[in-house]
Amino acid sequence: MWKKDSSEGSDRFEYLQTLVTEFQDTDSEEAKEQVLANLANFAYDPNNMENLRELQVPDLFLDMLTEDNANFVEFGMGGLCNLSMDPECRDVILQSNGISLVTNCLSNQREETVLSAITTLMNLTTPSSRAEITDPAILQCMLRFSLSESPRLRSLAAVFLQDCCSQEQVARAEQQMQGQQTAVGIPLPKDD
Amino acid sequence: MAAPRNNNSSCWGVPDVYKHHEQKKICISRPKYRDGRRDRAVKVYTINLESNYLMIQGVPAIGVMTELIQLCALYGAVEEYRPLDEYPAEEFTEVYLVKFQKLTSARAAKRRMDEKSFYGGLLHVCYVPEYETVEDTRLKLQDRRRYIIRAVRNKAREKEQKEAVNEKPTSSEKATTSETEYHYYRHGNPHWTIPTEDKMGTLHNAIIDTKRLEPQSSSSCQASLDKDRGTEQRLTLNQAPAAVRFVPRTTHLENRKRRMEEAADHSLTDVTINNEPLIGPKLPEPPKLDMEDVSLNTTANLIRNTLKKVESVPDLKPVEKKVKPRRRI
Repeated sequence: MWKKDSSEGSDRFEYLQTLVTEFQDTDSEEAKEQVLANLANFAYDPNNMENLRELQVPDLFLDMLTEDNANFVEFGMGGLCNLSMDPECRDVILQSNGISLVTNCLSNQREETVLSAITTLMNLTTPSSRAEITDPAILQCMLRFSLSESPRLRSLAAVFLQDCCSQEQVARAEQQMQGQQTAVGIPLPKDD
Repeated sequence: MAAPRNNNSSCWGVPDVYKHHEQKKICISRPKYRDGRRDRAVKVYTINLESNYLMIQGVPAIGVMTELIQLCALYGAVEEYRPLDEYPAEEFTEVYLVKFQKLTSARAAKRRMDEKSFYGGLLHVCYVPEYETVEDTRLKLQDRRRYIIRAVRNKAREKEQKEAVNEKPTSSEKATTSETEYHYYRHGNPHWTIPTEDKMGTLHNAIIDTKRLEPQSSSSCQASLDKDRGTEQRLTLNQAPAAVRFVPRTTHLENRKRRMEEAADHSLTDVTINNEPLIGPKLPEPPKLDMEDVSLNTTANLIRNTLKKVESVPDLKPVEKKVKPRRRI
């Protein structure tokens, strides 16, 4: 029998808390992956965002970005992509050095991870963070992505360049790229 | 529709088979407390993976494209569709690309049609965001952001209201809570969220237009979909999306009976063998099966006519049954 409203809200909170606890306590990589994926999927629903914030799940996801396990990185990045749509979660991520951690994921081998990273950067763009996000290195990366064979990567990078920066910034980045003799910087992800 | 670019410069090149089209293996090692209603693979859904473009594989190659699109249309307006002849397909099956007007429609269609039987074949439905144009992608992200901000704002308002109400406990509490349950899904039409999250958080809220969709109306399409009866009954009866109420079995039966009687009164289609309540757009009668043999066809027609006659008999002899409420012992 389910109770209504306030107790049901705390049921959800308790359940999420159980997940987080399992993630922290278990030694099984497989279980960790499953729980991480669950949390990242729960982060897709705006109803859960406050609970996840209280449970410090944004930080949990950020911690995953520097793990060796590629699934941890992909799921963590996906979770951040979902959470960062919420302005309060976005601010938490920004305060925890999120931009630099997410930017590092732009060089990930997995396309899903890169796509999540690009979307997250777009979500993290605020008047105060814009300068950091439109760093020339990031813009050059996006320019390379916009020439990729992958249609999803091309489209997302194009949206980033059109929405997050000015035409002058893009033009400047293009010039800098042409000036470079060797291919420097962030490699494109492997094709699926 | 943008087609994915590949190494061949020609637009007739074979579209790439992307990893996200593939079905991953189901996870079997989940502990019970977080096992979902259905078996699922370990996968994270983000807005990038979702799309208003769906690819439907496993459609039997027996000329049922119209029926397929009719089925899709139950979940929302279909803007475009075409067969993907160039996509690798299993023998005797076809692959279709369907573009929905709204992402929410595509989401609902994917949920309800994936892994379901269709004219003897098993459909595999997946999102294909690679067909989006840059503008499609931008709009998708914008819509998503707007939805989240609105939902979060409404939730905060709900919380404030609840806190204000808690300070003065009156009977108005019930009214407030039932009103706010529909809060953030109002678009002028009565929308209705189906409680979709299970313990894995993998079922996302599908916002469905109640005017168009009733899960049982798939029967009007003559498509043999396997349906999760229990879930759908609960969904149609449950007016409070967030609360799963325990409803006694007798109530289910009585409700179903009542709905069938009401539907019979408002029946829109020709009388077929179908007794299911029809809700949704009126669909043309399905083509009669041609068995490519004169005698077989004649037989089939005779049987059909006989059945029609049999069905019309109850109109002449109305049998009044006393409806007794069932008692649970």
